[in-house]
Amino acid sequence: MTKVSIILPIYNVAQYLRECLDSVTRQTLHDIEIICVNDGSTDESLDIINEYAKKDDRIVVITGPNAGYGKAMNKGLDRATGEYVGIVEPDDYVSLTMYEDLYDVAVRNDLDLVKADFYRFSRNEKGDMNLSYVAIDSTKTRYHTLLHPCEDPSMIKFVMNTWSGIYRRDMLEQYHIRHHETPGASFQDNGFFFQTMIYAKRAMIIDRPYYRNRRDNPNSSVKNKEKVYCINVEYDYIRDILMQDEAVWNRFKVMFNWKKYHNCMFTISRIADEFKKEYVQRMSSEFRRAYSQGEFTKDDFTQLEWSRLSMIMEKPDEYYNQNVKNAAAAKKKKDPSSAQKELEAIKNSTTYKVGKAIMKVPCAVKRRLTRK
Amino acid sequence: MCKVSVIIPVYNVEKYLRQCLDSVVHQTLKDIEIICVDDGSSDSSVSILEEYKKQDARIQIICQKNAGAGAARNAGLRIAKGDYLSFLDSDDFFEPDMLEEAYQTAETYQADFVVFGSDQFHMDKQDFVSVSWVMRMKDIPPYMPFGYRQLTDNVFKTFVGWAWDKLYKRSFVLEHDLWFQEQRTSNDMLFVFSALVTAKRIAVLNKVLAHQRRGGGASLSVTREKSWHCFYDALTALKQRLISEGIFWELEQDYVNYALHFSLWNLNSLAEPTHTMLQEKLCGEWFEELGIRGKPDGYFYNQKEYEQYLELMK
Repeated sequence: MTKVSIILPIYNVAQYLRECLDSVTRQTLHDIEIICVNDGSTDESLDIINEYAKKDDRIVVITGPNAGYGKAMNKGLDRATGEYVGIVEPDDYVSLTMYEDLYDVAVRNDLDLVKADFYRFSRNEKGDMNLSYVAIDSTKTRYHTLLHPCEDPSMIKFVMNTWSGIYRRDMLEQYHIRHHETPGASFQDNGFFFQTMIYAKRAMIIDRPYYRNRRDNPNSSVKNKEKVYCINVEYDYIRDILMQDEAVWNRFKVMFNWKKYHNCMFTISRIADEFKKEYVQRMSSEFRRAYSQGEFTKDDFTQLEWSRLSMIMEKPDEYYNQNVKNAAAAKKKKDPSSAQKELEAIKNSTTYKVGKAIMKVPCAVKRRLTRK
Repeated sequence: MCKVSVIIPVYNVEKYLRQCLDSVVHQTLKDIEIICVDDGSSDSSVSILEEYKKQDARIQIICQKNAGAGAARNAGLRIAKGDYLSFLDSDDFFEPDMLEEAYQTAETYQADFVVFGSDQFHMDKQDFVSVSWVMRMKDIPPYMPFGYRQLTDNVFKTFVGWAWDKLYKRSFVLEHDLWFQEQRTSNDMLFVFSALVTAKRIAVLNKVLAHQRRGGGASLSVTREKSWHCFYDALTALKQRLISEGIFWELEQDYVNYALHFSLWNLNSLAEPTHTMLQEKLCGEWFEELGIRGKPDGYFYNQKEYEQYLELMK
């Protein structure tokens, strides 16, 4: 059996594709298959893939009309035959020993998944590269030990990505782990990430960087200001998966809401100004409902996170007026202590105090209920 | 096959039937079939139906012995051939573009069902009254399609448990084996809420397209005196469905709150002596059976309803 299947979902990335394909075809691990899924590119991407495929018979080319990231990834997953599966975004690239090292760790430890640290990079006009190291475990306490993600929701706090590691294909098939296929949506890696975390029994993380993640591609969905609710739609999809099993939901519901909160906060900063107010209101309704259902408590968040979240839940319009509307102006000033000041301001506001008092009641009730 | 099958149970509605049928046969969406199920009317309803059928080949008439609107809708459902199903009431009337707009929305979002806006037509005032609770927009996501888990308040109160303001995809209804309960009253709630919790793709159309007649005489409130237990049978059937779908654990609080709301609404609209009989039944057995009894104060979303419950239980 092929040791690792590497999937590249490709859409209009001609300018970066050669660097990526060079790094994948020249891996020190030779027994790999490289599945290039062309998702209806309108530039020369397909020509480049075909050119590489002529020279390297480990390359499999799948091509079809544009159907979105999730669909393209799933086509690749369906076609994969390897013992393990890796993902490379075609505007990124990888170091040449990545799959040899990861495969070695995975096999020696009988792992369902292994993930490594990575670099984020961008290049300026002169071509100078700016690299920044990302430790996927910010606490740096959990590397190189056997982990059990399916029983340990705290691993959701690792920096989320789907491409800095490899997955046992048997696991992906057994639980039919795939991407959400809604066309035109984004952030479809979140659902895949959650599924790999709730089903993996044996995992390990490695504190060496192999993957190079590009941050200067202007076409990246992260930069799209018009896609407003795609994170919410992706988290609706994740919620449906988690809620298929009451025990799984009860284990992961806190981390689901924690992760969703951070994604929503990022969305508020990402989307165009005209969408922000309505977005904060929707976020408010969603989290109020989740809170009333006992999906999380104050203690699941840091003090700063909770001061923001409780205000969003109780007084979304006030939160918008105070913290969102003028955020752009505030950003320019870049006061390092602004977060602390914001916290103080919120805590001193009457709404925070009232909100806190209101929320104490259902909290106490929930606690009594769960104890029963 | 046509685009929409319109199913209309008809029972002694000679006064309003023409207005209803006129607004259906003149729908801008032409590719429809109109299945009228006479539920044993004793007035001239059937001859009105015959008269319309002569003029419009899309109309079919089924006659059954009086068995209630639930049985009548099922009879229509069994022979329906349209891509979508519309269950209308014979005393209501509709905007001419209702089916076209609902159909377009359903197709756009590949929806399992579409909910559209409605208002009430009050006979005494001869005027339209808007009602916000038929579709609680603030609890509905600003994106479509969505599922019940995206509703941000009690899922059983975001839409009303009647079928006439919704357009259902027939393949969805068949796949999930959705039927109306064959009982006198509360026969549509099980269908509507079972669809709500099994649909993966719900869409809404926030536009008033249907008008519900109010104060048109006997209606069903008189019937309810005789069939005062129907709402309870509907609630227990809904609970069974939620259990068999494996989702009762997540919807229990919403269900219990809805059960209390629906019980009180039924109780409050009943006259004596049925009122006292129902009250005794509720306090003696049903509040317990419905899971209302023994829940802590904070379990209830609506303080007024909870207070009435406490008052009754004294």
